[in-house]
Parts: sequence; C-alpha cells; structure tokens
Amino acid sequence: MARSIWKGPFVDGYVLKKAEKSREGGKNEVIKIWSRRSTILPQFVGLTFGVYNGKKHIPVAVSEEMIGQKFGEYSPTRTYYGHAADKKAKRK
Amino acid sequence: MTNPTPESLICVGAIAGSFGVQGEVRIKSFCAQPEAIAAYSPLYTEDGTRSFTLRLTRQVTGGFGARMSGIATKEEADALKGTSLYALRDKMPNLPDDEFYHADLIGLDVFDTGGAAMGRVTAVHNHGAGDLLEIAGTGRGDSVLIPFTLQAVPTVDLGSRRIIVDPPAED
Repeated sequence: MARSIWKGPFVDGYVLKKAEKSREGGKNEVIKIWSRRSTILPQFVGLTFGVYNGKKHIPVAVSEEMIGQKFGEYSPTRTYYGHAADKKAKRK
Repeated sequence: MTNPTPESLICVGAIAGSFGVQGEVRIKSFCAQPEAIAAYSPLYTEDGTRSFTLRLTRQVTGGFGARMSGIATKEEADALKGTSLYALRDKMPNLPDDEFYHADLIGLDVFDTGGAAMGRVTAVHNHGAGDLLEIAGTGRGDSVLIPFTLQAVPTVDLGSRRIIVDPPAED
C-alpha cells in the first residue's frame, strides 16, 4: 500500500541535518548515511551521499531525476561483476 | 596471418551449447547491446588460435541462435560448449572525449594528486547514480569506490596506463 500523501515524504532527521551542514560548508565531500529508507528530496540535488549497503558506503551523486526515489535503490547489497565487454563509462 | 595476442582481446560472449540439430550454436552475449556481438566478428578463442565469423539467426531464451564459420554439425557445436568468445580491441569504435571502455579502465594504476600509489582499478560499476571506479590494492584491506567524475578523476592517461584521482573527503 502506498504511503499517504498527507504525511509527505519520509526522511530520517539526521540525513536532513547532515545535508544542510554539507551544503552550508560548500565542500566537496561524501555524506555518509546509513538510512537507505530515506526519500531523496530536491534539496539533496548536487550532493554526494555515501549510502551504506551493509558492508561499505556506496557514493551516490544525487541528480534531479532521482528525486522521490529512496537512497537504498542506488546502493545494491549484492555485487555482480560480469564482463567488461564493450560497456562504456562516461566521465561527467 | 599471425594470431592476436591475449592482451589485444576482450571477452564479448560465450558459446552456451548447440541449438537444434543443424549445427547452429547458442550464444550468450556480454555486450551492452547484446546483438552487437556479431559486429565484432571475427571472434577468437581465449588463446587466439581459432577464429569464427558469426551470424545471428534468431533470438532464443537467454541469448541468440547463431551460425559460426567452420561449425556445420551439432556435434561440432556441442564440442564448443563453454568456449568464451573474444573480439579484437581494435574492432571497437573510437569513443568521444571523456568516454571510456570499461576494459580500458580496468587494470589502470591509480595515483593520488600527490603522486602516491593508491592501487589499481578492478571494476567499473553503475548502480544508476553515475559510474564508479572500484580501486583495490597497496595495503588497503577493502576496495574503495570513487565516482567517475571530472572532479574526482581529473586525469585518465590510457597511454601510460595510469589515472590520477582526487577522492572527495568523507564527513
């Protein structure tokens, strides 16, 4: 069952505080968080979070299209290496 | 013609077995666009001693049905089950600036901005929030993940096989 709209998006309080502190500092840093359940809010765009996957913190650079998703969706708990083949990576 | 060296080959697929009774093979593709495997023909075995031209004939569960040169019977196709297929690196098209093949990045030596060795790139991941380089080695127990951005990875020098990283601070 979907979350009621009147409640608004859920975000752990400490995530909001850390994000605000980082934004004020204006530094390029990875904000370590353990809250995979928190919703990505518009004020997080441009920040990089280290989202814990049970073993380590996976860097997640928040962009506009990620708003409304949960942090945990970008930090998989299982790793599949596969083959490099002709796969490409773009430096942004 | 000389056989290609293993360093010039990149694994792009594997033969999963025979398909039907008329010498077709079942191909598993590892390419980003699975059907692109045919464009990299001729494909080689791991040691580069055998080569095949590949023509995809149909899509089957988990891969493709294909015809390979020199394979005419089901027995010959069965004998190749499990064989990895390699393409020449030179067959892959050139990429624009700031775009790299994973195969080129994996194995590069990693240095920080001060020139100290940090290890080696072991994998490239993308979990939906941009590409990440996994770096392991030089006395570090666990591997580290660095965002593949201009800020965090200012220099990628494929010629000298090294990259320079400026990892973001952690709070």
